[in-house]
Amino acid sequence: MGGATAALDYDAELMLRVKDGDGASFAQLLEKHRSPVIHFLYRMVQQQAVAEELAQEVFLRVYRSRATYEPTAKFTTWLFRIATHLALNQLRDGRNERSQERLDERPEGMPAVEVEDRRPSVEQSMVRQAALDEVRRAVADLPGKQRAAVLMHKYREMEYTQIAKVLNCSESAVKSLLFRAYETLRARLAHMA
Amino acid sequence: MKCPLETREDREILVAYSSRALNAGDAGRLEAHLESCAACAEFVRGQRAVWEALDGWEAAPVSAGFDRRLMARIAGQASWRERLRGRLGMLLVYRALPATAVAALVVVGVMLERPSPPSVPQRAKAQVEALQPDQVVRALDEMEVLDQFNHRMKPDSSAPEM
Repeated sequence: MGGATAALDYDAELMLRVKDGDGASFAQLLEKHRSPVIHFLYRMVQQQAVAEELAQEVFLRVYRSRATYEPTAKFTTWLFRIATHLALNQLRDGRNERSQERLDERPEGMPAVEVEDRRPSVEQSMVRQAALDEVRRAVADLPGKQRAAVLMHKYREMEYTQIAKVLNCSESAVKSLLFRAYETLRARLAHMA
Repeated sequence: MKCPLETREDREILVAYSSRALNAGDAGRLEAHLESCAACAEFVRGQRAVWEALDGWEAAPVSAGFDRRLMARIAGQASWRERLRGRLGMLLVYRALPATAVAALVVVGVMLERPSPPSVPQRAKAQVEALQPDQVVRALDEMEVLDQFNHRMKPDSSAPEM
């Protein structure tokens, strides 16, 4: 946890420097948190272009809030609270059509995925893709807050207390959210073992 | 050990164990319990399967122009605010002219009638004028921040990361 505390202090320190007008510190924060935020949003809304658009809004809000920023919470808690809020709004507004992107679709400027020489056979790829689609559908069918909790717990390895702060609920509510979410996922994905 | 499946509070131990987040002591006690409890063992097997299935879901790389687009939006917003501030400033000046003239007439009238200390409208006018250097400083600050940001972000550094 020492490393996490150090990271907290450093991120908050950077944000305080942004508050003092240091644009380079904002660039450092962006560099560090860009991918985690986009990946979280991508798994929330399941459309890369939408995820990047939302991430733009997240960092724009961080930048706009610099003047009033106070390090009362961990920087990542604040950052993911903004991201989660925007993602849940996106899901609630029904703008997410839940259309799964095809493998050959990628946003403008995104590099093509490098394929290694030892690529699997067509059949293996199809099986893997079908499994992945099943995982994505199972996660997409979770209610918004359960989905956010699972994604923060699984992919960001956040502790219950931090997830609770992001979702603005109690720690026991987070445990309950996670338990219900994993129970649902288990019912749908356990056969994949 | 009491069966974790018996109470909702204890079930989280099974989730934590399945995600390998349980400390060694608790994990050891749970493993001993799993040997004799088929229901918990089944729960853990299913949970591990979920965990592994989720592991296979990799996020796509971030598009190369992400930082450039963000920078453009920030710059656009800053210039929009400056334009708005400029227009509001002009509006304030134009609006202030008749008000100032009226205030001046009132002041002159009052002074002719009864010489007295400066009136409220004059103080208001002074406040309007005092805001202008502050606005200039803020605009310059904003431009400096963007300049530093531009300097740091060139060339675009949004390297794909998994």
